[in-house]
Amino acid sequence: MDTWKIEATKYTPAIYFDAANNVLSIKGESYPENVDQISKPLFTGITSYFAQATPDQHLTVNIELTYFNSSSSKMLLDLFDRLEEAAAQGEKITVNWIYEADNDTAEEFGVEFKEDLEALTFNLVKN
Amino acid sequence: MLDNLYQFKKELNQRGIFFCFSGPLSQELLVEIGDTLRNQMKQEEASSSTILKVFSVFVEQAQNVIHYSAEKILLDSPDKATLSSGIIVVGYEGQHYYVLCGNLIDNEVVDTLREQLTKLQQMNKEELKRYYKEQRKKEAPESSKGAGLGFIELARHSITPIEFEFQQVDNNFSFFSLKTAI
Repeated sequence: MDTWKIEATKYTPAIYFDAANNVLSIKGESYPENVDQISKPLFTGITSYFAQATPDQHLTVNIELTYFNSSSSKMLLDLFDRLEEAAAQGEKITVNWIYEADNDTAEEFGVEFKEDLEALTFNLVKN
Repeated sequence: MLDNLYQFKKELNQRGIFFCFSGPLSQELLVEIGDTLRNQMKQEEASSSTILKVFSVFVEQAQNVIHYSAEKILLDSPDKATLSSGIIVVGYEGQHYYVLCGNLIDNEVVDTLREQLTKLQQMNKEELKRYYKEQRKKEAPESSKGAGLGFIELARHSITPIEFEFQQVDNNFSFFSLKTAI
């Protein structure tokens, strides 16, 4: 599996997949006019990870978004649905939702995502 | 116009308006305005939580103008980009920031919008949260260029019910204004 990276822009996050450690990180702010520009490469990367993952592999997803707009929020839900489905099928996945102590909006979003997940390990991590 | 401009500025100041823009808007311009607003509010010593909420409301409202303004010019560029026109106002009144945006819309969408916004006005925070999560699970409506969640997100951030108005311009268009207080 290859390491890949999408550079951050002023309004899209840096997305980095570290193949050596099976860590996917999404960091920055996300408010593009059209969310396809980040969701397409992200979902392609995830699909190819699961296609190649061996049973002992454990995927860690670190999400540290200080701000995201409503269409990015929809994209995140789609991402968690995808991961929830994989976790329910036995894939080992941990999501860390990382937020700053003074960012109550990010905290609230994390709590709301977590409420609807069952199979997926979803940690709220206060920085 | 020259002597009226100062009068205009005084009026803006009296209303607590510290940012005002009217004209064609693009994503790039939105990013720069957003940064400027964040710096300005930092200077005013607003809390980082408030700054983020105002910024978030500004982005949703400005992207609504970009996506849905009926006053659009198709650019002569290979990617068929458009410039959408509207008005964005950011001010401070009664201890709260507010964002006010306006743009032209087709008369035929007025009723649907009014119905949608009236419904949001009547919901409390808990109902808005439930409705937001419910809508987020659905496929975005066909008429939507985002996720169809923008108005709900605005209503959730707003400390008072969102305010809106429609003024008919002619047989084709109405002017739509929307105000969110944070």
